[in-house]
Amino acid sequence: MFDLDHAISEWQRQMMAAGIKTPVPLEELEIHLREEIERQMRSGLDIQKAFEAATRQIGQARALRSEFGKNDVSIGARFVELTGIAWGVVAGLFSLWALFFLFTIHEVNWVGRMLGLVAIASTVLSWRYGYRVLPVIRHRQVRTLMGFAGCIVSILWMGTFVKLILPSLVVLPTKTDTSPAWLMVSFLWAWTVAATLASTAHGLKKVASRQDQPAVS
Amino acid sequence: MIRKELVAASAEPLILSLLSRGESYGYAIIQEVRARSEGKLQWTDGMLYPVLHRMEHRGLIKSRWGESETGRKRKYYSLKKDGKTAMAKHHEQWSLVHSVLAGLRKEQYV
Repeated sequence: MFDLDHAISEWQRQMMAAGIKTPVPLEELEIHLREEIERQMRSGLDIQKAFEAATRQIGQARALRSEFGKNDVSIGARFVELTGIAWGVVAGLFSLWALFFLFTIHEVNWVGRMLGLVAIASTVLSWRYGYRVLPVIRHRQVRTLMGFAGCIVSILWMGTFVKLILPSLVVLPTKTDTSPAWLMVSFLWAWTVAATLASTAHGLKKVASRQDQPAVS
Repeated sequence: MIRKELVAASAEPLILSLLSRGESYGYAIIQEVRARSEGKLQWTDGMLYPVLHRMEHRGLIKSRWGESETGRKRKYYSLKKDGKTAMAKHHEQWSLVHSVLAGLRKEQYV
């Protein structure tokens, strides 16, 4: 007597042995398999033949694994993605705080305010639209390497600015009340450079992923 | 039967176009494509899911787990804003290819 649940468990084991180990695709494939078995049975096949036809239709485990493998994200790519997200969140919060600072708390002249606004606008625009001017790099490893380098340089740049450049700005003789505001403007521009580098790293992936072609046959 | 390369290239525009009519799930998408092409567009069923996951990762579509009317668990996919833009671009490009081919075919019979 054919045991469908046992046969499906065996099919799952084969899928897992081929490398489809994450629960979501396996669960989706199993749901699909069960629907196809039901359809085959409605068309007149017995349960065993329906199972065999459905597994044939769903494809071989190795071929599926190979196709799912194209979606795998390397550690380098993950680092670029996480750095990009972290930089984006920090840039957003910092820009909001800087806007509040520049326009309400301290007296800043219009040049400082404009420079601050341009820095914030540059950060936002580079994040929102910067990827559109980037080239499509099809080789995934080269792309990840360039993105990785962009993120590292942006981190090093902010470290250099905070450790070396900012202290030298702070010890300058402060003769007017606008000095903290100018420090803020300098910091905003330093941040703009870092955020633009990180957004470039992120954008390389975005622009390449829009050109990808799927394979279903 | 349609060639593998063409089937692969048409997967994304077809999925986007189907999802533009409302959310759907993997099995229904495959059945719909099969029915509309009268069985000539044959996808290997399992291969649809990596494509759907890739499109989701690229921000073209989104997914949610739900239940069918019979209580069966299903993962439903729907179109995102970027997906609508991508679909419009696909339609434009495929229409261009179609019009060039149609024009050339017409000239052959003149």
